[in-house]
Amino acid sequence: MDLLVQSLILGLLLGGLYALLAAGLTLYFGVMRVVMIAHSAFLILAAYLAWWFSSSTGLDPLLSLVFTVPAFFVLGVLVQRVLIARLKPATLTMMSVLLTFAIALTIEGLLGFVFSGTQRRIQLPYSGASLEVFGARIAVVKLIAFALAAVALAVLYVVLKATRFGQSLRATIQNSEAAALVGIDTKKVAGYGFGVGLATAAVGGTALSLDATIYPSLHWHWIGPLMAIIVVGGLGSVPGAAAAAMVLGVSQSLLQIPMGTTWAQTIFYIVLFATLVFRPHGFFGGRLAQRF
Amino acid sequence: MSKSTRTNISRWVALTAAGGLLALTGCGIDDPSESGEGGTGDGATGTGGGEDPIQIGISLPLTGDFSEPGKGVQRGYEAWAAYVNENGGLLGRDVELTILDDQSNADRVASDYEKLINQDGVDLVFGPFSTRLVVPSAQVAMDYGFLFVEPAGAAEEVFTQGFTNLFYAAPAVAQDHYDYLADHIEAMPESERPKTAAYAAMDDPFAQGTAYGLKARLEAIGVETVVDEVYPPNTTDFSSIAAKIEASDADIIVGGTQYQDAVNLIIALQQLGYQPDLAAFSTAPTNPEFAAAIGDKTEGILSPTGYTPESSYPTNAEFVEYFAEEYGTEPTEDEANAWTTGQVVAAAVEGVGCADPSPECQGQLIDWLRTNEVDTVVGPLTWDAEGRPQGAHLIQQYVDGEITIVLPDDAKEAEFIYPKPEW
Repeated sequence: MDLLVQSLILGLLLGGLYALLAAGLTLYFGVMRVVMIAHSAFLILAAYLAWWFSSSTGLDPLLSLVFTVPAFFVLGVLVQRVLIARLKPATLTMMSVLLTFAIALTIEGLLGFVFSGTQRRIQLPYSGASLEVFGARIAVVKLIAFALAAVALAVLYVVLKATRFGQSLRATIQNSEAAALVGIDTKKVAGYGFGVGLATAAVGGTALSLDATIYPSLHWHWIGPLMAIIVVGGLGSVPGAAAAAMVLGVSQSLLQIPMGTTWAQTIFYIVLFATLVFRPHGFFGGRLAQRF
Repeated sequence: MSKSTRTNISRWVALTAAGGLLALTGCGIDDPSESGEGGTGDGATGTGGGEDPIQIGISLPLTGDFSEPGKGVQRGYEAWAAYVNENGGLLGRDVELTILDDQSNADRVASDYEKLINQDGVDLVFGPFSTRLVVPSAQVAMDYGFLFVEPAGAAEEVFTQGFTNLFYAAPAVAQDHYDYLADHIEAMPESERPKTAAYAAMDDPFAQGTAYGLKARLEAIGVETVVDEVYPPNTTDFSSIAAKIEASDADIIVGGTQYQDAVNLIIALQQLGYQPDLAAFSTAPTNPEFAAAIGDKTEGILSPTGYTPESSYPTNAEFVEYFAEEYGTEPTEDEANAWTTGQVVAAAVEGVGCADPSPECQGQLIDWLRTNEVDTVVGPLTWDAEGRPQGAHLIQQYVDGEITIVLPDDAKEAEFIYPKPEW
């Protein structure tokens, strides 16, 4: 019973992290049908920056967000305007895979070059600390990561729902031609949308760095599950991705009790397969994605 | 956007997700490593004896997947050759190494040894790095009747191919790494022994072999296995495995680990407040980065180690000093095992008094190693009929923040701590 409660809590915390890491990915796709293979590489880049910031200044890695979030936003706008905007609309989805694959390899190579292949971990005074709730233990670092995810996703939701920029972004997601007709500068909006996506990668990477051992090629382990999450959640839907991330995170954690680690991991691909067969527009997306 | 386009795109993204998975298996979990230069390695310089030098043929993975350890082995071989030549050579003759680059490719390594033996007419061969390359090259060497001593290839499959010419130049195969720890636990009074044990091992023949070797020994003396988890090499989240172990409240935890898995698992266990009496993990704790990752919570963590520059075996001090002078750093396990390979072959050559490619000489070398013990930098070595070394790994433990040899008794630098302090 204790193990069940413990695993449920761990699953929720893991799901929250998944939701944050996948949010940007679904956004790029929503805004301009870009399959962003490099998203997880940017997560690892942010994690490395957090580690580097923390180990060279001795300050808490969370403070690195002050620099990385704006830097990643600008970087995102640049990547979109300079690289992705040049792809031909007809083959955009396919070519973006190649382009962002190249970006991912470049980031991985540069990380290896600058920081070497040595596996790193941020040493925090509270890395092993935990709180006891209902007989289960919640690690402080996981709770911080979850809080970061909640705050970042809430901010993203408010920005998309309540601001003028969010309205134009959603209009661009839903129908970019119509959006352009009513006077929205869709190119500029697309650039900012991409910037927002990368800014979530900065937050996600920092959250990840609190409780992970990082190395340059780590991003390959993340991109598969994150892609599965956004397909199951309905491409382009941030709430859909968050819901899928929670369900998959909790299922993975609970299935690990009877099935062991190896088989529990396959839940992502079983659900992905089921989604493509029965509801190709995603289990949580569909009409939701159209609205959002 | 119409539903069918969305469907198509969904498929595309799914394909990409699958592609990500493939890339994951393709790119492996290894860190990127700079590419090395291939081609022939330089012969060692020095002032040995007259006559022709003894030619030693080697193929190593200087580029590709195993290039990092491959270059470590190369450094060990070259340091050994230079040292031998500075100290009078072998049988009064200089030794000269021919090192080819097999690009970590199993086909290539076989043709490399074919070429070395047939075309270059080398007098002796040394083995390459890792099981995957040792098996095909040992086959070639056996076809030509050559002695084959290898520095890396500890997995069981190396010793089950029926090779009659192979010797692994290291203290122990994976299953025997924890033998000294098992001996120690066996020797404890029954009331003090641990009652239950949890095992978590990576799905990898080497890492798993170490943990399961200890598991077999402990089960034989009645230590109950309460958790036995095997995880794939790409696992990054260890909180659920840790939750299982914590829930079982096992007395001891044994990890068949490499690096990041051990670090992540240990921290996940600490987060759950699990306090074992003994925590043993392969490989990771001996990594210099380990203490930086775990912080001040390493006290009492155990690890088997095949080599440490501090070990007190005769010839080791000389090796460490010579190597540090040549390369500016202390040798690691790869370099030590390469040096050991050199020592083993040299002992056979000196013992028999020949070093040429003739089947008679090679046969005598093989027979000599079957029946003699060789003193090396990793300790005295003997082998069984399949080439398994008959030793065990030293057991190191974090004592006062330093990783220190605690077992066996005749090599220890500090007392073995059991139960370990809380982390």
